[in-house]
Amino acid sequence: MYDFTYHRPETLADAEKMFADADDGQYIAGGQTMVPVMKQRLAMPSDIIDLERISDLKGISRDGNVLSIGAMTTHAEVAGSGDVAKAIPALARLADDIGDPAVRNRGTLGGSIANNDPAADYPAALVGLGATIHTTSREIPADDFFTGLFETALEEGEVIVKVSIPVPDKAGYVKFPQPASRFALVGVFVAQIGDSVRVAATGAGPCVFRVEAMEKALEKDFSASALKGISVPGEGLNNDIHASADYRASLISTLARRAVAAAE
Amino acid sequence: MEKYGIGQPVRRKEDARFITGAGTYIDDVAAENMAHAFVLRSPFAHAKILNIDTSEAENMPGVLGIITGQDWAAEGFATMPTKAAISKKIDGSPLNQPPRHCFAIDRARYIGEPVAVVIAETREQAQDAAELVEVDYEDLPAVIDARKALAEDTPRIWDNIEGNVCLDFELGDKDATEKAFANADHVVSLELVNNRVTAAPIEPRGAVAEYDATTDSYKLQNATQNVHANRTTFADVLKIDAESLHHLAPDVGGGFGAKNSSYPEPPILLYAAKKFGRPMKWVNDRNEGFQSDTHGRAQFSKVELALDKDGKFLGLRTRTVGDLGAYCWTNGPFTPTGGSARTQGGPYNIPAMYYSAVAAFTNTMPTDPYRGAGRPEASYQIERIVQHAADTLGFDPVELRRKNLMPTASLPRKTPMGLDVDSGDFPEVFDRTMKMTDREGYAERVANSKKNGMRRGFSIAPYLECSGGMPKEFAGISFTKDGTVTLRVGSHSTGMGHETSKPQILAHTLGVDFDRIDFIQADTKATPIGGGHGGSRSLEVGGAAVLKAANEMLDKAKVLAAHLLNSNADDMDFADGVFTDIKTEQTIAIDDVIAASFEQGRLPEGMEPGCLDTESIFEREIISCPNGAHAAEVEVDPETGAVRVEHYWVIDDFGPIVNPMLADGQVMGGVAQGLGQALMEEIVYDDDGQLVTGSFMDYALPRADSIPKMELGYYEDAPTAKNPLGVKGAGEAGCCASPPAIVNAVLDALKEDGVAHIDMPLTPEKVWRAISEAKK
Ligand SMILES: Cc1cc2nc3c(=O)[nH]c(=O)nc-3n(C[C@H](O)[C@H](O)[C@H](O)COP(=O)(O)OP(=O)(O)OC[C@H]3O[C@@H](n4cnc5c(N)ncnc54)[C@H](O)[C@@H]3O)c2cc1C
Repeated sequence: MYDFTYHRPETLADAEKMFADADDGQYIAGGQTMVPVMKQRLAMPSDIIDLERISDLKGISRDGNVLSIGAMTTHAEVAGSGDVAKAIPALARLADDIGDPAVRNRGTLGGSIANNDPAADYPAALVGLGATIHTTSREIPADDFFTGLFETALEEGEVIVKVSIPVPDKAGYVKFPQPASRFALVGVFVAQIGDSVRVAATGAGPCVFRVEAMEKALEKDFSASALKGISVPGEGLNNDIHASADYRASLISTLARRAVAAAE
Repeated sequence: MEKYGIGQPVRRKEDARFITGAGTYIDDVAAENMAHAFVLRSPFAHAKILNIDTSEAENMPGVLGIITGQDWAAEGFATMPTKAAISKKIDGSPLNQPPRHCFAIDRARYIGEPVAVVIAETREQAQDAAELVEVDYEDLPAVIDARKALAEDTPRIWDNIEGNVCLDFELGDKDATEKAFANADHVVSLELVNNRVTAAPIEPRGAVAEYDATTDSYKLQNATQNVHANRTTFADVLKIDAESLHHLAPDVGGGFGAKNSSYPEPPILLYAAKKFGRPMKWVNDRNEGFQSDTHGRAQFSKVELALDKDGKFLGLRTRTVGDLGAYCWTNGPFTPTGGSARTQGGPYNIPAMYYSAVAAFTNTMPTDPYRGAGRPEASYQIERIVQHAADTLGFDPVELRRKNLMPTASLPRKTPMGLDVDSGDFPEVFDRTMKMTDREGYAERVANSKKNGMRRGFSIAPYLECSGGMPKEFAGISFTKDGTVTLRVGSHSTGMGHETSKPQILAHTLGVDFDRIDFIQADTKATPIGGGHGGSRSLEVGGAAVLKAANEMLDKAKVLAAHLLNSNADDMDFADGVFTDIKTEQTIAIDDVIAASFEQGRLPEGMEPGCLDTESIFEREIISCPNGAHAAEVEVDPETGAVRVEHYWVIDDFGPIVNPMLADGQVMGGVAQGLGQALMEEIVYDDDGQLVTGSFMDYALPRADSIPKMELGYYEDAPTAKNPLGVKGAGEAGCCASPPAIVNAVLDALKEDGVAHIDMPLTPEKVWRAISEAKK
């Protein structure tokens, strides 16, 4: 790890100022991505700004049909939250299946989506549920937030404050783990809200994406059998030692059917 | 005493230390005024080193100096020797052994090969400076696939080694085997891969070296599993007297063979300790471990089996290409040759066998013995071809195996590969395992799986392997007035529980208090010789040495006891720690005899205080043949290709079990490692030689949730006469049996899909693809 200056602001305003003043500043949340990257000397920030003490970033609450989760909420807190379990059980289970206990006790929702790892679980949930990401300067629909491989709509210095999620009628998530890392080799999140259905796939491509053909079929008939015969082209999907593109494509179909069957 | 006797599941003494974080591993070792070394490794699989510019790096804060390959060469140090038991080609000429220096000097031949070593006040400073060492490389084409390495137009890795061949090898009767095949009703053949894997011990490699100028001597604390052999090697490389090098290992966190090998870093560290006049520490991180720990397996084989019309095995022929990596490492050439040849055919009665191999160089991390070192390969080969024969010729796989096992009455015998099989009851062991597997409930389990869209499969895998490692071992017992017993051994536990099992043998034999036995291992000053750890030898050879020393001590104690009781040594009986005069029925406890041994006035003539201290060397003449039968039941998800091992059953014949809990640990660990090889582990280099599986993000190790519940049992009725404990090495059996048991069970599940073979590891994608392709 290279040397850096460590800051621990108490307010969002201070955090943003520290970021602006730094040569090459980086926010740190749970550190579950940042610390390994820094230990491997793949990042050399001049300043690390720890978001841990900022109370505005914490907490889970439900207001009518909207669930709000603060950016600094850990995976373990989401997994263990009664509000989440009641509103969107699939989301609680998703969080409970991220990494190992140490990762879940440190890693945060905000860190996960800001990082936008192509194999991360949360992006599938937020796109699948049609969530909104609230930052220090604006509100961004999940569809517009995840823009590419490790890329998001966040501007320099912009901090994610919370996400708000409409509570669906039904939602299901099925993840097929990459055998080594246990991130999602492919994960499919399916949600039904009123007449509309969303299907989001993570792990499969460079960035989370929606599968419109499946959404249309499910809007007519929300059942696993409705997906029969709908396949996703392998073109453009990830291809690595764990899975080639056509296998990933096949997994999307299989997991989507299972996610629909499991949706509650 | 019974509580700690042979056969008792005594809890591991060392665990309190290990589990509470009180162990002393290499990274816990520090010396005063210690400096740190960082190894700059080649990022290329094959490249010329045109120039190394260290000027900028040398001026970095904390840097004491930088050692390059050129500096090393200028010192005139010797190369690392290969000590493989097989060292000649078929024509009798010596194997092609390229020079293995501790550094890549003008050419780097694998990713991770040391190019320079930076010495600084801290590891961070050394690493910072290493980034500024400018190495001018000229990239050369890399040879990655061992089969392609042998092709005529493939570039040479070593200019003077034609065809990238280290050696060829054969064993068995070629003509008889050919005849058997010519006369056979059926011949089946398969091409098989034994995937390249890494041991991934929980503790990476590392060492701390010190030099004492006043005595011109060295001390090396090293995360190794073999202090004695490596001391000789390191001393030879540095051209110093081995006696001047005190080599010892602190607690070692796993080795699995990979820590047996002689690595370049410790000699470099010893040299640096002297050159800079400071103790030196180096510890690999995990990524360096993936690159620079010796790998295992990496064999490509064609296996053929000849059968008569009733399914009787007539002949076995195996042809292997072994991948040695860029060098002959410490024992590398042995694994694909002698190591894989000896146990060909497993426990089956096969009258004619022939094994041939060629070992090739590639631009990859060299391979060296890894848990089993050839026997798991052989076990996989025979069990896969037997399953394949059953599947393609229409025999029941269980019955085909059962009827071809060596009959019990045919033992002792020598196999056509020269393996001396003295004891065992293979049909009985096979039947006992089958009995555990709940055949009655199987049809229902298959039906349930089907109902859920799954497939279920089963296979049994009988195996016969052999022990190995250095045949000689030392044990020393010494006593103090206050009743402490110290046991020093030349064998080495890197987590297997010797601190418990070896004192158990001593406590059982002498009747002394188990808790008062101190245990010392892995220290060249504590024992004159030592074979370390490897080849499942530690109980068989090391345990036998403890028993021998204990019995020799008892002989002396008997004389003293007789003297103390005023009786005759010939009249002394010994049991449960008490000497009894069979005539007078007077008794004296061994503790009292030991106490008396320190009082000159109570000793007979010719005995001195401390006379009960005993040192012994046991030498095994013939290796033992551990055997058994494992069985696996698996469930396969045909839509995703995911495999789950649902049940696993084991009967092993390791002779009498000294500590069933430790034996269970060996079996379970071995099975888990074999499951890893079967289903997920694989070191992958891309075509340019880049290591794709350079971290646990891409190298899949099994986790607790991948491992099924195992039901274990032991067959203890056929002790071997090859050692006084009657034991047969238990350490590697698990990974001999589990890959074929699991792979064959998966293929059994996929029979209805028409899948005939999938190479290990049976990853979800490979399984899915095999099903999809069989459909076409
Ligand atoms: C062993 C292991 C296993 C894992 N397994 C999984 C898995 O199965 N599935 C999965 O999805 N993930 C997995 N992860 C990743 C894990 O979920 C991380 O927690 C997550 O990627 C990052 O969250 P963090 O809070 O640790 O962020 P950090 O590492 O602290 O930060 C990550 C990035 O986000 C930025 N950032 C953090 N918070 C904010 C904010 N509020 N606003 C703006 N930017 C911010 C940081 O600047 C940084 O660039 C795993 C990680 C590890 C180490």
